[in-house]
Amino acid sequence: MNYDVLVIGSGIGGMESALKLGDMGYRVLLVEKEASVGGKMILLSKVFPTLDCASCISTPKMAATVHHPNIDVLIYSEVEEIRKLPGGQFAVRVRRKPTFVHHSLCTGCRQCEMNCNVAVPDQFNFDMVARRAAYIPFPQAVPKKAVIEREGTSPCSFACPAGIKAHGYIALVRSGKYREAFELVLESTPLVGSLGRACYAPCEGECTRNRLEGPLPIRRIKRFIADRYYAEHPAPRLSPPQEREDKRVAVVGAGPAGLTAAFFLAKKGYRVTVFEAGPQPGGMLRTAIPSYRLPKEVVARDIENVVALGVEIKTGCRVENLEELKNEGFDAIFVATGTPRSRPMGIEGEDLEGVYRALDFLQQVNEGRRISLAGKTVVVVGGGNVAVDAARVAVRLGARRVIVQYRRTKAEMPAHEREVVAAEREGVEFQFLSAPLKFVGSGGKVAAVESVRMEPGEPDAGGRRKPEPVAGSGYRIAADVVITAIGLEPDTGAFRKILPLNDNGTIRVDPHTLQTAVPYVFAGGDVVTGPSMIVKAVAQGRRAAFFIDRYLKGEELKGVEFDYRMPVVDREKVLGRQQSYRTLPPVEEGELLQERPGDFSATELPLSEEQARYSAGRCLDCGVCSECRQCAATCPAGAVDLSMKEEQKEYQVGAVIIATGFQFFPAREKPQYGYGKFKNVITGMQMDRLLAPTRPYNAVLRPSDGRVPENIAFVLCTGSRDRSVNNPVCSRVCCMYSIKQNQLIMGALPLADVTVYYIDIRAFGKGYEEFYNQARDMGARFIKGRVARIEEKEDGNLLLYYEDIDHGGKLARAEHDLVVLSTGLLPNPRVPELFGNAKLELDENLFVREVDEDLNPGKTSIEGVFVAGAASGARDIPDSILHAGAAAALAAAYVERIRMKK
Amino acid sequence: MYVCHCGGNISDYVDVNRVVEAVREEPGVVVAREAMFTCSDASQQEIIRDIKEQELDGLVVASCSPRLHLHTFRDVAKRAGLNPYQYTQVNIREQCSWAHTGDREGATAKAIRLVRAGIARTRLTEPLQPLKIDTVPAVLVVGAGIAGLRAAIGLADTGISVYVVEREAAPGGRVARLGRMYPHGKRGRELINQLVEEVQKRENITLFTGAGLVEKSGSIGNFQVRIRVREPVESEIGVQVGAIIVATGFDLYQPREGEYGFGLEGVITLDDFLELLDAPGAGLNFRGREVKDVVYVYCVGSRQGAGGEGANRYCSRYCCNAAVHAASLAFDKSPGVRQYHLFRDMRTYGRFELFYQEALRRGAVFLKFDESEPPRVERGEGGKLKVTVKDLLTCGEEFELQADLVVLVTGMVPRENGKLVDILKLPVGRDGFFNEIHPKLRPVETVVDGLFICGTCQGPKNSSESVASALAAVTQSASILKKGYVELEPLVAAVDPRRCNWCGECAGTCPYSAIEREHYQDREVARVNEAVCKGCGGCVPSCSRGALNLKGYSDEQIRAMIDALAKEIC
Repeated sequence: MNYDVLVIGSGIGGMESALKLGDMGYRVLLVEKEASVGGKMILLSKVFPTLDCASCISTPKMAATVHHPNIDVLIYSEVEEIRKLPGGQFAVRVRRKPTFVHHSLCTGCRQCEMNCNVAVPDQFNFDMVARRAAYIPFPQAVPKKAVIEREGTSPCSFACPAGIKAHGYIALVRSGKYREAFELVLESTPLVGSLGRACYAPCEGECTRNRLEGPLPIRRIKRFIADRYYAEHPAPRLSPPQEREDKRVAVVGAGPAGLTAAFFLAKKGYRVTVFEAGPQPGGMLRTAIPSYRLPKEVVARDIENVVALGVEIKTGCRVENLEELKNEGFDAIFVATGTPRSRPMGIEGEDLEGVYRALDFLQQVNEGRRISLAGKTVVVVGGGNVAVDAARVAVRLGARRVIVQYRRTKAEMPAHEREVVAAEREGVEFQFLSAPLKFVGSGGKVAAVESVRMEPGEPDAGGRRKPEPVAGSGYRIAADVVITAIGLEPDTGAFRKILPLNDNGTIRVDPHTLQTAVPYVFAGGDVVTGPSMIVKAVAQGRRAAFFIDRYLKGEELKGVEFDYRMPVVDREKVLGRQQSYRTLPPVEEGELLQERPGDFSATELPLSEEQARYSAGRCLDCGVCSECRQCAATCPAGAVDLSMKEEQKEYQVGAVIIATGFQFFPAREKPQYGYGKFKNVITGMQMDRLLAPTRPYNAVLRPSDGRVPENIAFVLCTGSRDRSVNNPVCSRVCCMYSIKQNQLIMGALPLADVTVYYIDIRAFGKGYEEFYNQARDMGARFIKGRVARIEEKEDGNLLLYYEDIDHGGKLARAEHDLVVLSTGLLPNPRVPELFGNAKLELDENLFVREVDEDLNPGKTSIEGVFVAGAASGARDIPDSILHAGAAAALAAAYVERIRMKK
Repeated sequence: MYVCHCGGNISDYVDVNRVVEAVREEPGVVVAREAMFTCSDASQQEIIRDIKEQELDGLVVASCSPRLHLHTFRDVAKRAGLNPYQYTQVNIREQCSWAHTGDREGATAKAIRLVRAGIARTRLTEPLQPLKIDTVPAVLVVGAGIAGLRAAIGLADTGISVYVVEREAAPGGRVARLGRMYPHGKRGRELINQLVEEVQKRENITLFTGAGLVEKSGSIGNFQVRIRVREPVESEIGVQVGAIIVATGFDLYQPREGEYGFGLEGVITLDDFLELLDAPGAGLNFRGREVKDVVYVYCVGSRQGAGGEGANRYCSRYCCNAAVHAASLAFDKSPGVRQYHLFRDMRTYGRFELFYQEALRRGAVFLKFDESEPPRVERGEGGKLKVTVKDLLTCGEEFELQADLVVLVTGMVPRENGKLVDILKLPVGRDGFFNEIHPKLRPVETVVDGLFICGTCQGPKNSSESVASALAAVTQSASILKKGYVELEPLVAAVDPRRCNWCGECAGTCPYSAIEREHYQDREVARVNEAVCKGCGGCVPSCSRGALNLKGYSDEQIRAMIDALAKEIC
């Protein structure tokens, strides 16, 4: 695409240049980084010296700009690079940031904004109030279209293997939208309750609050969501989809992976049958995890979510021949049979009475078989979660002593630390660096474990130090019961006929699509990965369903991305943008641990509603948008599209006008004035917002207590004419905008006193001196003297220390109830980075240098590149407008010249 | 019919909802709504939707002054397919909310009446077509100072022909007489030479020096101008242009005799001092004597708060910068010179602050005086001047300074240009400078369409600011002329020739000489030159036969508006 002129920035300068060029018949591309044109002027209350309402001046220019037949406006876009071409033109690359809202459909109704559950400081109100992550910048925005601010994926949501939107459901809980929260989790897994109880929660490890007072209890919040929903909805509110596919899918294994795959395939309309070898569906959720961690009615309720979609579950039905299933009419098969077998130890005495394999042991207990270990000594061999589960179960069955024997150190235990701690609290003993040599029997019953001490030896291939027996260290542990838990393995022998397997018995698949060597057979979960955790099995189930669907539709599998999550946000950036976060300690852990528990009641308290909302309220909204999807759900136009991608566009233009404006001096850099520390010290722009027609509180109030201020001070030259902050120049506008605010305040608050502390009043423009005198006549007090420092009193009032030059130059002190820092204007130093092969020179204050200000104002060091408005130095609005007109004239002349050359 | 809150500008003082309800049932009203900002894009879109969906044939917006948004909403009407002249803007901001801030009830009642009148007018509007006039792609620039010359070059570079008229014998204006100027230290005459050279390179610029404007007729897009030239022989030349840019510059304030000792030997203006600084050779001498002590007095002729009627209340903007820059030039020329600056507020705005700091660093002393106690300049001892000043920066201590030179930092004043003002009908502001329509919306345009102003004739500016405004005037005029045509308001007077019997009464009332006599079916009748008529309506009541009417404001419409205004408010 070709344009005559590129204008960067749509503030008053950029709009003016663009409009003038457009009127002259030149084709203009206007690029604006925010979601609306208008720049800073539209945010002002009124403008000096005419006291016109800023909106009244800006809005018609904004509308004229976007509707101009010769101007194309790209909002929410940034110029990435500009390269000069040999013919004098420029090649421009523009990054169009995704708005996540299709602007052709958006009607600006603000439903998304009202339903958004993330609040962030509103930059358009200078952080005095909050806006939503889905937002329309301000009431007069042009175009009046919503955008959704997404920094990236929040670390919690990114950490979840199953892609569950942790940040999303937390944001919903924060807003009290518990049903919506449940439904959001249900979009990623049917096993909401099980995960809420028994997930090892990788999300919590990534939570940014870890760097502060500790992570959010994300899993417990999910449990809260599930508990609450299931209490209100004993039966699912799901039904099979209206439109169903003819194709049938068999899922082999009703564990987390199989159930999840069945759920998503059924949602897509497939007819799904799950074959389960055991008597009840649920897999490890049902058989391995003890009920004090995961009550079986929760598992049953989760499974109802799957069944409600029309999935048929055939229990007691072991599948060995996959081809047969195919012949029975199943178009695809998902094998998710898990790792149902305990690995044998291969030592003497394993078949003695009283020696159990952990999985069998746990399964029997879970199925309700009454096993009494009263008074017995139990040795559990192994250091994984299954071992710890078995030990804690043994305690509950009445064992006198339970010893976990592990051949490595405590630190090397694969079991989850939380489980190990709980086991210790419940009275489980641990013997580390100890291994059984054989189980010694007496009368066919186990009586002791012949053991040996171990020590860490040479590192193995995986870098772990392999334990070696210590010579002569043999000893015995007396034992009535031994439970071996040294690992689980798949039971895949029957599939060997048609499926290639790995050495450890797991099924070989394409790790991306989960397709096996037999195209219609997919496999996932522990049977592919080996023993893992529930949420990873869920992830595999989701992935399998996605690719099975594509397979059945005859679509390409290779090169298709399943997970469309944005990159994770940088936690440092998240912490950096919290200007003042509140310290919010985590809620207490709800572990109900006691020595030697006697029953299987739950060991963790649920969060109360209050706790859940408080905890959710601690969320830092790392990714800004939480992906709760309420915007998408409530948009009447269907305009929200969270999968929208960033675009790079290339253009060729004849000339460039830089109209990138300025930034305000950050008032925090004058710590002696207390901005950010004293609530009633605000900036000039904040005061302007308080006075604007679209003002945030609809009144001029002071922030500390919402009182109407009565005695307001203005501190001029904050960050200007000040070598201590490296800005020796004058910012040109602060005297005048302060005088304007004086007049507006005296209009809005007739009883308020206004005092201005100044060095020189610079009322130099047309009508300015008269405007200054008008403020004095209205009663504003002007005191010559720079303010040295500000102190806060207990009642929020402020003490200003200054040199009173008009009265003999003595040091003086004055009390005010609101202080306005008239902050100056600084350059935007990133501008030169835009230019690839030419150097854009800056002046000594880092504004864009005008190389021939006398005769060609707006001309820069690059031929064909011009600057308009405050990008080349502080300017007020009338001066910016004239300057922008000049830049337009120079750009037009340049375009004519390169046209002639051609 | 839309009633605007204008943020709170209107709704804080007028009950907008009541206004809407009070006019909802007025005859002809189909849609009656309120809006936070009617001028915002979202509201514009809503109006367009309403017009299209309801097939409306009239639009009324009650908001601000039509000076602000008449064109905005006419455009909206046009985009919706409605004739833009079937739009009426009712001003309830300036005329109701701002005028009656203490009387919500009264302001609301007045707004209701005004809106009803607007509706009554709109019901009787007829679609009108703007008068389209082909534009002449040429511009007349009045004044060949730095602004005028630069404007001429800018226009020529976009393909527009230019005639430049300069009163003096040589181009260049004031800048041509200047030596080193701030901020870049370039010499004024070199800048001018550069521009004159560029002007000479361009075939489409004609420069008349020693020339003046005699007469102007026509209107935007097509003015006829007569220029009197003295060389080679005194004669008059007629040119046709589409627009006129006025860049006639300023005069320097001339101190009164005795003002800060003016008239005493050694009391000079900054302009004189700059000339001294520009003299060749090292050392600073005045009338053969070495200058060791210089005292500057700022704000001479500017910021005259106490000066009574005719005082220059404004700040002259350039002078603080020029004076501190002069201080550095003086140090360059004579490093040992002692300099005292007596100022009120140091207005070295923006990066000119650095010149101030340089002067300070090099040893210039700054003393601040209060307007009520200005410095006194008297003849001192030993041929020196004595300046007495009370310095606020040192606790109001009084100093007596001995000076070889006292430099009066004089401001800018508007030029005496009565004849030009008459010919061009230039609007003059309260401060005596020419007035733009609006400093932000239309900063180089005047109330006369096609007539632009730039540079210091508009108000004090430094040279590069003048050039920027000149180039802004270039874009403004080029944007009109490059389109090839302009559209003129069709809201003009019209004669019904059947009723007219040419008495000439109307022609006498017209301030624009827009009414001419013509033949109509063997009779003499009046005819309105639509390109010249401004639609002021002054002629209409003068016609005893009722043959004149103003389009868009017909007698019938005015009567309907009066009836609506007088209607009871329930």
